[in-house]
This record gives sequence, C-alpha cells and structure tokens, in this order.
Amino acid sequence: MIQARLGHPFLGFGVGLRGMHMQYVLEQNPAVDWFEVISENFMDSGGLPRYRLNQIAERYPVAMHGVSLSIASTDPLNLEYLKKLKRLAAEIGALWVSDHLCWTGVAGINTHDLLPIPFNERSLAHVVGRIRMVQEFLERPLVLENPSSYITFTDSTMKEWEFISRMAEEADCGLLLDVNNVYVSGINHDFDPVEYIESVPHNRVIQFHLAGHTNCRTHLIDTHDGPVIERVLELYRHAYRLTGGASTSIEWDARIPAFPVVHAEVVKARDYLNAKPTSRVAEPPEIGEPGAFALSNPMNFLVPDPVGS
Amino acid sequence: MTTRAIDLDRLQRWMQTVIVDRDGVRAGAASSHARRHIDLAPEQIEEVIGRSRALSGVERLAMYGRSYFARLVECLRAEFPVLLHALGQQLFDLFALDYLQSNPPSSHTLHHLGEGFCRHLAETRPNPSTPQGYRESWPDFVIDLAALERAFSEVFDGPGVEGKTNLPDSRSLLSIPPPQLLRARLTPVPCLRLLRFRFPVNMYFQQVRRRVNPELPQAADTFLLITRWEYRVALHDLSRRQYDLFSALAAGNSVGSAIALTSQPGEDNQTLDAQALRWICDWAEKGLFLAVDFELS
Repeated sequence: MIQARLGHPFLGFGVGLRGMHMQYVLEQNPAVDWFEVISENFMDSGGLPRYRLNQIAERYPVAMHGVSLSIASTDPLNLEYLKKLKRLAAEIGALWVSDHLCWTGVAGINTHDLLPIPFNERSLAHVVGRIRMVQEFLERPLVLENPSSYITFTDSTMKEWEFISRMAEEADCGLLLDVNNVYVSGINHDFDPVEYIESVPHNRVIQFHLAGHTNCRTHLIDTHDGPVIERVLELYRHAYRLTGGASTSIEWDARIPAFPVVHAEVVKARDYLNAKPTSRVAEPPEIGEPGAFALSNPMNFLVPDPVGS
Repeated sequence: MTTRAIDLDRLQRWMQTVIVDRDGVRAGAASSHARRHIDLAPEQIEEVIGRSRALSGVERLAMYGRSYFARLVECLRAEFPVLLHALGQQLFDLFALDYLQSNPPSSHTLHHLGEGFCRHLAETRPNPSTPQGYRESWPDFVIDLAALERAFSEVFDGPGVEGKTNLPDSRSLLSIPPPQLLRARLTPVPCLRLLRFRFPVNMYFQQVRRRVNPELPQAADTFLLITRWEYRVALHDLSRRQYDLFSALAAGNSVGSAIALTSQPGEDNQTLDAQALRWICDWAEKGLFLAVDFELS
C-alpha cells in the first residue's frame, strides 16, 4: 500500500516565489504556508536572489520546481545540471523536487519551452527509464507535472492520463497535478478533464498547481497571467477530495501583480474547497480575441532583474 | 509515407527544427533540415500532428513556433532594458531575433541567454571592415550598451565576496614594506569587470534607470569598473590610466610591473608611481581585491 503523497507532508497553500516578491516576503513575513521556487533561478546564482532565497528557506518550507530537466528528451541527461539541482535541494532543504513531463530541446538546444511527447509504449519506456536514473542520482523521488499542451501526436496510442498513471507507477515517482493544465489541455484536445482527474493515481499526487490562462476562442493558452477561473477551481476541489488533499501552490508568471494579490489567489482556492457547491457559477470574463497571440509558459521572470531587485 | 511508430529522437529533432524556423512551421517543415528527420511536406504535417475540433495540425504546431521566439525575445528585453529603451522595441526585437536565430539557446538557465548578444552585435555590425572614424558610429553605441548591461547582469547574479572577511584594505597594503608591495600581485574579486567603451554608455545607462530620457550621447572613450558589494552592484568610472593600471593588475602583473607598464615616457614617474599606489589603496578600500600574493624571489 503506497502512502498518500508518497509520505510527503501536507504543506498547505503556497505561492510560486518570484524574484520581484522576494524583498517583500523578507520584509513583511506574510502568512504563507510554503513557497515553491524555480530551481533554475537559483542553481547558478551567487548573488542577491540566492542570498534572499537562503533567508526565505530558513523561514518557510520550500519545494523546488524546475523547467529544464527535459526528462523526455532523447539527449543524454545533463549530469552537471543534476549535480547543481541536487546541491541546491540539499542547501535549501527542499522538501521535494519537481519538473515537467516534457522535453525542452534536443541536439544540445534548450528551447525553454515545455514540449509534449507522443503517449505510446516507446515514449513511456524512455521516460520511465530516465526518471529512474534521475531518482537514483538525486536520491529522492522525482515529482513530475502534467504540462499544458497544444498538439497531439498521431503516434499516441494511449490517453495522457493513462500515460501519466503508468509512468508514475512504473517509475515510482510523484505527481504534481496542475489542474489548470488539465483544463487547458482538455479544451485543446477535446477530452474530459474530470475523467483525467479521476483517472490519475491519487495517492501519488504530492502537489497541485493552479494558475490563470487565456481563452483564444479556438484554444486555451497557459499564460499564467491572471486569476484562476471558476471551472478550474471546481476541478481542483474535485481533485483535492479524491486525493485526500495535497499541498497547493499558485503560479503567476506574467503581468505579475503585488504579492498580496498572488497570495490572495491561493487563499481563494483554499476557501473554495469549503464553499458550498454551486450549480452554475458565473464564469469570470476570459480574455483573448480570435487569432490573438498569447504567450504560453512565459519565462522572462526567470531572467535576473537587477533593476527591480 | 506512413508516420506511425516514428522514432522519438527523429520526432523531437523534426519538431524542434520546424518550430525554431523563423519563417514559420510550414517553411520549417519544408526545409531540408526537417525533411532529413521526417520527410514530410508541409501539407502532410497532420500525418504526425493531430488536429483538434477547432484547429488544424499546422495551426496547433505554429503555436509552439510563435511562442519560441516570442518567449526568448521577452527574456532578452528583460535582460537588456536600457538597450531596449535606446533602440525601441521594433528594432530591438529585430536584433534579438537575428541573434536567437544564429545562437539558439543551449543552457539549462536563461541567465546565459544573453551572454553572446554583444558579440553577435559586434560580428554583424554594418561595415565591419571600414576603419573607425569612417563608418557610422551608432552601432558602436549599441554594442557598448549591450556589453554594459550584460556585465551588470553577470556581476549582479554571479559569484561575489559577500561573507568573506580579511579582504586586503588600504591599511593592510600600506603595512607591506614598499619593495615587497611592488613585487606583490593583487587578485581582483570575482565580481569585478573592467570595460572600455567608445561611448559614455554608463552615463546613458544611469539616466535611463533614473527614468530620464537622454539623447544618444556623442562618441567618447570611457572606462568603467563594475563590482558588487553586499549584493549591490557598483559602477566606477575610471580614467584611461586607471583602466590601464587595473587591467595590468588583473592580467597578473605585479604592482611594480603594472605601474611601469602604464607610465608614460617623459612623465614624472615618481609622482605617477605615488598616484598609482594611492589608486591601488583606494581600490583596496573599496574591496576590489581578493588577495595579495608575493612573487617568489
């Protein structure tokens, strides 16, 4: 019998830490349950961002979330990257280390995007093998997130949730269930997000992600630039109950507002868990014009910001 | 052709080639590079990429292509905000796209994304073989400003000396007997950068950061030292001679050799030597040296 959350603690309702908020956090000590930090922001930093992270990690529980592991790439695993990842996790006492089920590049290139793979037996064997290697190196279970995606491959032979479930079981890893991503991909790929949520192995869900997205009418883009919509909160509540509860964090990566606004968003999600179910809650207006361009996975918040610091 | 059971490596190489093509995914798919991995005409993309109820396979794949450049250009804008201000977004983005096309990122961190931008601007400047003075000078301003912003960024987030004690200060240097000091080598702190410019870009940089909207400056040789103290980046303008002296020290010359290298024939060397030593003590007081080593003699 597998322990719920693979034995990881329930941290409560946290915030994805962004550089522009670090000074505020250190000065104001906001009542946040925990912080999720972007691994690549700090693994090479010898300056103010890393100094501030060390201080924050002394005051709050932290987990690490990466964007460059590229677990599904066919390039060899980057040993130098893994060494830095392991060192950072040890130095800040990260409770777990997560990344995405994706590849970020091949042939030595890092596109800095979270690119999808076909869901078939060969991809599964490839990814499971690499997760095992990473876990052995890091000496801890890896936690992998379902990314949002905009394409499907004709080469896929199984549903995304079947792939993720088998991956988690066969590699014995944890899951970071991004509920917004399930919703976004569900719209983009014409699947039922509830079926997805109900199908993943709930005892392996260590963490939830929530975020905003942009409605471009023909598809949704995972822009992380606004509040979480009601339908995603409904899905979250469903997932939360199925899993028995898992640590939750909010991601806000573009048009980032002041820290209290971001924090309020995860508090809203927490309160939503206990709110009476409503039959039809009015949807907040979604933005985006037909054919409008919206940027998925914005990354400019990962560039060190000496001016804003 | 049938595309069932495509090898994952071929698929990834094909998809990456297609989405990083600046001319769009159709052009990318039609390129010989892409067809080397999967031999598909653009109209056959749906043999690999499925369609949704609302969008074709090409339209869906194009989202990754558009996002690739947009995401990375945004990152360069964030790293070079003063250059962005100077050029305006349209021109900046053209330079950024050109850079990204010939220098696709390879690092796991975006901290490295802009490290070759200045070099790329220098290598692609108009009329590179025309001697300075006979060619348009504004590209030099662009290149210098990019160099300054990159150095600032590296110093801000790179290794520093915070928490280190016993950095040599002026008192410790002055306590060394002069003959011995002249034989000493001074190691600069790792967060120090020495820069030489053809335009007063530091003045421009400071003004833009103070939200002043300066005119593009006139060309003038300027020299700058960037360092960090207690996690704050500090910029010190240098004279030509100070720059030469510090450069000589940073190159590993002893204090005496560095002073000799930067003295001019026909000048009052005694006065200059004393002045150079005062500068070195002043730099030590600012925490610019990591260590004093003595030549074996």
